Amino acid sequence: MTEQVRIELKNVSKRFGGDTAVDDLSLAIATGELCVLVGTSGCGKSTTLRMINRLIEHSDGEIHIDGQPIREINEQALRRRIGYAIQSTGLFPHWTVARNIGLVPRLLKWPAERIEKRTRELMALLGLKESEFNGKYPHQLSGGQAQRVGVARALAADPDILLMDEPFGALDPITREALQDELLRLQARLSKTIVFVTHDMEEALKLADRIVVMNRGQIVQQGSPKELLSAPADAFVESLLGGRDRGLKQAGLIRVRDVMHPTGARRQTTAAAVGADDDLRQALSVMLLHRLSSLTVVDERDRTVGTLGVDDIMQRKSVPADKTDKVQTSLEASDDATDAPGTDARKGDAVDADAADNDTAPATPQERRDER
Amino acid sequence: MSAETLPGVSEFPWRRWAAPFAWFSALAGLLIVMPHLGPLFAAIDPEAREPIYRRDAFVDLLTNHLLLVAVASTIAIVCGVSAAIMVTRPWGRDFLPLVSQLASIGQTFPPVAVLALAVPWLGFGGLPTVVALVLYGLLPIVRNTLVGIGEVDPATREAARGMGMSPSQVLFQLELPLAAPIILAGIRTSVTVGIATAAIGSTIGAKTLGDPIIAGIINGNTAYILQGAILIGVLALSIDSVFARLLPSRH
Repeated sequence: MTEQVRIELKNVSKRFGGDTAVDDLSLAIATGELCVLVGTSGCGKSTTLRMINRLIEHSDGEIHIDGQPIREINEQALRRRIGYAIQSTGLFPHWTVARNIGLVPRLLKWPAERIEKRTRELMALLGLKESEFNGKYPHQLSGGQAQRVGVARALAADPDILLMDEPFGALDPITREALQDELLRLQARLSKTIVFVTHDMEEALKLADRIVVMNRGQIVQQGSPKELLSAPADAFVESLLGGRDRGLKQAGLIRVRDVMHPTGARRQTTAAAVGADDDLRQALSVMLLHRLSSLTVVDERDRTVGTLGVDDIMQRKSVPADKTDKVQTSLEASDDATDAPGTDARKGDAVDADAADNDTAPATPQERRDER
Repeated sequence: MSAETLPGVSEFPWRRWAAPFAWFSALAGLLIVMPHLGPLFAAIDPEAREPIYRRDAFVDLLTNHLLLVAVASTIAIVCGVSAAIMVTRPWGRDFLPLVSQLASIGQTFPPVAVLALAVPWLGFGGLPTVVALVLYGLLPIVRNTLVGIGEVDPATREAARGMGMSPSQVLFQLELPLAAPIILAGIRTSVTVGIATAAIGSTIGAKTLGDPIIAGIINGNTAYILQGAILIGVLALSIDSVFARLLPSRH
């Protein structure tokens, strides 16, 4: 076991009475990795997550955090060093937002000033205006705001590990997407080890460094989003990936910038445009909408930077050739020899957590993945 | 309870406490005035030989009445709340049906019957009265504590555990604060009913405001009955008005 493996599950099983919820599951999650457990309800993903902070005790096998078996750690002490965010937020209704966020630091008996300072920091980090939200109660918040508070509370004591159980499951699509982007932005800065449970494959594809597909308490397949999309292990994974929509989802992982012809090349400009940082799925959608087989590509300041034709999309390398093991990729992040700009940016931000660093941090998972 | 004893009188929320203050003033007024209302009660019940109950001072009866209720309510609150807390813990969950059933039986059993059964063991006087009042007052407290704790969102409790709160922190920082208004409402019912019920203690020799009533029934003296009933009623309303203020108004 290397020191970079933060959470390791070895042949872990959980039985409730006669039912086996998790069956001989082994999984190693690396430091700084965002690992998403996906599956239908009842597949054991949530049970797996809750075994990590001992809300559920595992029946068999071993779970290690930083090499230490979690059964040897006092359960309250263990939970206080692991962030935990859930779908219904579980905010204390009789406590203000500020008090809710400061819960774990208070349990850890931080001095009042430090708690106050940390609460302010987190509210800024999560985009909650302090003057507006400090004294509010949970019932005065919208779903998205409450979930931001929930995430802030999970991050309050600056835990290395964050467990998230369908945190965005109850939100409307627009809020959900905003919070997913927020999570990626946070992760780019903070480099936590995150275990994220969802039944939404779309969400998993967007967020994950590595996706772990579970069914009936076992791992069916694990790998990067690209690996899953290019080679689903079986019909179950394929159906989770959306069956015939899989092609589009794959296109959604590739940026226009990487396929287009830079300006000056052969084609003429067209009526409709697509952004260089958009993905091929969006480009295809624009093409369908305007019945065009070729688009102008513009940068964020609306300057033409290239063109994109249907055949460029079709003739791209058929499979994004990213066969690197994701664990490996993440491990490289802590290696100085790495030349991947994406991982470099993440490391830098983790050290100097300042908003200004956002510019260098990749904004979307697609970028992050492609830059590796 | 009384406004004068509180510090910072200038900041005391007079308007909020106006009703309890009025009720207690009325009660005090009645205690002073009642013995001098002979002609009035004589007019109400002309056949009475003695229009005012004088075997004991009303103040003494009231004090003893309150003492009985206070002792019984304290016991009922301590037992009721802790029993309800116990059966909502993981290790006590098996006793939940038993405890709620016992509390229900306590209330369906008429206090007079409890008195009759208790006298052979406990003798006459205050003790059997307290036992009857405790049994009778347990149900609203147990039931409301169970409801109050039961209404805490399981997800919130789960989050509290997941954040690393100990079981006692979950109880004292989450469950009890959230259940407090409902528990207090149960205590209010229990105490108010207790004040009215304590009067029957007079049938087995406890000194309560029931004494004039019992004496009135035996002697056919309506004036006595009225005097006891009025004092009990005003006392119950006074105490109830305090609870009404203690319960948080919903914001």
